[in-house]
Amino acid sequence: MAPFLQRFLSRKRTKRAGTKKRVQPGHVVASPASQSVSPPGDSASNDTDGWQMIQSYRVPSVLGNERLAMSYVAEALKSFHLTRRRLDQLGTAVAEATMNAMEHGNHYNPEIPVILQVFSANQAIAVRISDKGGSSQLLAPEHYETPDIEAKLAELQSPRGWGLFLIQNMVDEMHVRSDAENHSVELVMRLEGTTHTDQNA
Amino acid sequence: MPEANISLYHRSVNGIASIIDIHGELTAFAEKPLIDTYTAACTPQTRAILLNFSGLQYMNSSGVGLIVTLVIRANSQKQCMMAYGLSEHYQHIFRLTRLTDAIQIFPGEREAVRALRTLPGVVTPKSRFQGRFLQGRK
Repeated sequence: MAPFLQRFLSRKRTKRAGTKKRVQPGHVVASPASQSVSPPGDSASNDTDGWQMIQSYRVPSVLGNERLAMSYVAEALKSFHLTRRRLDQLGTAVAEATMNAMEHGNHYNPEIPVILQVFSANQAIAVRISDKGGSSQLLAPEHYETPDIEAKLAELQSPRGWGLFLIQNMVDEMHVRSDAENHSVELVMRLEGTTHTDQNA
Repeated sequence: MPEANISLYHRSVNGIASIIDIHGELTAFAEKPLIDTYTAACTPQTRAILLNFSGLQYMNSSGVGLIVTLVIRANSQKQCMMAYGLSEHYQHIFRLTRLTDAIQIFPGEREAVRALRTLPGVVTPKSRFQGRFLQGRK
């Protein structure tokens, strides 16, 4: 495991059952085997480093609307002819990130939407999921606990807490950005070549 | 308040195992229907629980957590847990999360039922099914 991932991961017991964890901004959580692709960048920018925004959506922060987010992304990426496997992986990552945004960032306030932006570059696609959580909702990296099935079955960890783990393993890269007001998670998936997600499947 | 979009059905296999048929979405809303179905599916003779995911449309991280909860309960009852009908994507998730360490995965019901023969002391006559339907949707 890459040293920078080891800084985030600990085997401390969870303090509360069912707590979802958010990663501190600026931490690039990526597969050790991957080479980082520059993320789309500032939400106000377009065509930065070859990224172009394909589509933008507003998803009301309502329980269950992560399915809507999945369908929006699938629709936006239709012309890219992703394999069924890649589309399912990206869909899962988008759904989990959207759920986190709705719950922790926007507190399921239906008046505050999650902003979904889909980008494409020459060799990759990216989805940015933004909420109004800012940096106040974040935990320090050492508080993020890697889900461990053995610990969960031994009831040493909550049976929940799989969201961030699934995101990390479904896409090639995950980038977290935050300021005082806004929080964004960017999910990057390469379009060609072997990636860690294909190797893990 | 959103409702659980899940339908659950349980049936007995030779009196020693129960199949739980899962149709719909396995999310946090499915917790009570799933636990209730599991409870109804268990008898003192139940040695194995077979989860039929053929009708699964969607499962998120909360659904994974529910499966872990089921395994914990099955383990406490000394029950073996099996699953079949998972799509490639959800098989991948089961492997990633190492749920496959706790749940044997089979391609279909026939293979899963056949594997019941490997349970110690099991004799499998011709199967008979007795179904009960529990719906998680009002």
